[in-house]
Amino acid sequence: MTDSLGQQKPVNIKAQLQACRSKEETFKTLVTLSKTLPRLPTEEKTEENKVKGCESAVWLIIEEKDGLRYFKADSDAKLMRGVLVAILSLVEGKTLVDIQKMDLTAELAELNLSSYLTSSRTNGVLAILSKINTL
Amino acid sequence: MAFDPSSLRPLFPILSQQAYDHPLTYLDNAATTQKPLSVLDAIQGYYLSFNANVHRGAHFLSDRATNRFEQARDTVASFINAPEQSHIIWTKGTTEAINTVAFGLEHLLEKGDEILITSLEHHANLVPWQQLAFRTGARLRILPLTSNGKWEPEFGHYFTDRTRIFAATQISNAIGVSTPLPTMLNYAKQQGAFTLVDGAQAVAHHPVDVQALDCDFYVFSGHKMYGPTGIGVLYGKSHALEILLPYQTGGEMVRHVSYQATEFNVLPYRLEAGTPHIEGVIGLAAACDFLNAQDRLALLAWEQSLASHVYSRLQKEGGIDIYSPEKNTTLVSLSVPNIHILDLNAYLDSQGVAVRAGSHCAHPLMAQLGVAGTLRASFACYNTMEEANRFCDVLLEAIDLLNDE
Repeated sequence: MTDSLGQQKPVNIKAQLQACRSKEETFKTLVTLSKTLPRLPTEEKTEENKVKGCESAVWLIIEEKDGLRYFKADSDAKLMRGVLVAILSLVEGKTLVDIQKMDLTAELAELNLSSYLTSSRTNGVLAILSKINTL
Repeated sequence: MAFDPSSLRPLFPILSQQAYDHPLTYLDNAATTQKPLSVLDAIQGYYLSFNANVHRGAHFLSDRATNRFEQARDTVASFINAPEQSHIIWTKGTTEAINTVAFGLEHLLEKGDEILITSLEHHANLVPWQQLAFRTGARLRILPLTSNGKWEPEFGHYFTDRTRIFAATQISNAIGVSTPLPTMLNYAKQQGAFTLVDGAQAVAHHPVDVQALDCDFYVFSGHKMYGPTGIGVLYGKSHALEILLPYQTGGEMVRHVSYQATEFNVLPYRLEAGTPHIEGVIGLAAACDFLNAQDRLALLAWEQSLASHVYSRLQKEGGIDIYSPEKNTTLVSLSVPNIHILDLNAYLDSQGVAVRAGSHCAHPLMAQLGVAGTLRASFACYNTMEEANRFCDVLLEAIDLLNDE
C-alpha cells in the first residue's frame, strides 16, 4: 500500500523510526525521511498555510476528497520535514472523525519522537497536530 | 595558558554526566551557567539552619536570616564596587531591574523626549523602553551597529538634548560584541540623560566597577554568574534610585500605612515590595564569593581563548558565517548557509552538546544581520579545550550530514 504522495509505506516509516536506538539514529532517520517529502512551491508557502507557534517555519495544507483528508506540508528545517513525514504517515487518507479518535501524541511517542513533543518544540508539533485535527 | 579548568570541574558535579550516552558538553552558559557546590550548599544551609522571614520577627532565626540577607547585600555591593549596600536593590533578574527603572522614570518623561538604546539589545532592554515610549509619547531611538559588526566612528549625534535615557548592554548576548561604554556614557551624561547598563552578559566574565563606569543604573542576573535563578540586582546611584517611583507597592516597602496615605520606606527597601527571594540572595552572595576566590582575569583569558580557538577552527573550515568577533569575546555565534540552525542544534544535542539556536531574544538584531537566528556556543570558566574541539567536530559532522548532496 502506498500513500497518496506515492512515497514510502507508512508501515515502513513506523518500523524505521521504531528501530532507532538512540537520539542520533532518530536524527539520521528523520533526515532520510525528510527527503521523501515533496517541497511545496513558493506560492503555497503563504501566511495562511503557515502553522503558528513553530520555531521553524511550517506550512500545512489540508485537502478533502470524498470525506478523506490528504495533506501537503513543508518546513524550512530538514528535521521538521522528517517529523512531518512521520506525522502525515499516521493521518494521510483518513476521515476527520477517525483522525480525531487517534491519540497522535502517544503514536508519535511510539515512534521515538517524544522529544519533538516536549522541549521547546512542543508548541510547534502540537500546533501541527491541532491543525490536522480541526475542520 | 596557566589556567586549568579541570581544577574547577569537581565543583560542578552536574557536568560529569552523560547525555544520551555521550559526555555532556555544556556550552549554553550565556543562557544560564551551572552552579558550584558552594552556591548549592549556601541555599541548603539557609533552609537547614536559618530559614525565617527577614526584617520582621524579633526572634533568633529571623535575626540570623536578616543578618545574612543584609551581609549578602554588602557582598554584592563590593562585588561590583558599589559605594554603599543601600545602592543594591534585589530583583527577580535583569528584566525586572530594567522594568523597575522604566516604570520608575516614567513620571519624568514628556512627549518628544528621547530614549536611546543600541541595536544590540536583548528584548529585556528594548521592550520596556519601547512600551515606556508608547505610554509617554517619548521617542525610542536606536544607535545601530553597522553591517560589518562595527560601531560607526562618529555616533555622538545620536545623543541629543532630548535624550533623557540611554540604556545599553555591556556585551551582546546574541553575538558577543562589546559596546564602547565609556564613550557612549560620556555622550549621554553630556546631555544629562539617565544611563543604564545591562551587565547580564558581563558579570560572569569581567570584573565590574560601577563607580569607574559611572552609570546611573547597572543591572544583572544571578543565574548567568553561577548563582541561582530568580534573583537579580538593580544597582543605582543614590539620586537615581531616589527619583524612581516604586514600580511595585505592598509590604516591606512601607514605613507607615493608613487608608488615606502611605509613607514609603527608605532605600533599598522602598523598591523591594513583598517578601524577597531570600534563598536567591544567599545563593547569589555565595556565587560572588566563588568568583572572588578565582583569578578573574585568568578565567576571562581562558574563556576568551576557547572562543577564539573555535572561531579560528571554524573560520579555516569555511562555509560558516560567524557573527561574533574573532577575539575578546566568550562566545561564538554562527549560521551555515542553507542549513537550518535547529537542524544543527538537534544533531549537536543528539551528541550531548548543549548550545543555543534561535534569535536570542534579539529579533531586530537578527533582522539587521539578515538571519532568522544563529547557533551560539558560549563558554564558562569550567569549559575545557576538549569541549571546544568537540563542539567544532560535532558541528562539522552535522554540516556533513545535513548538506544536500
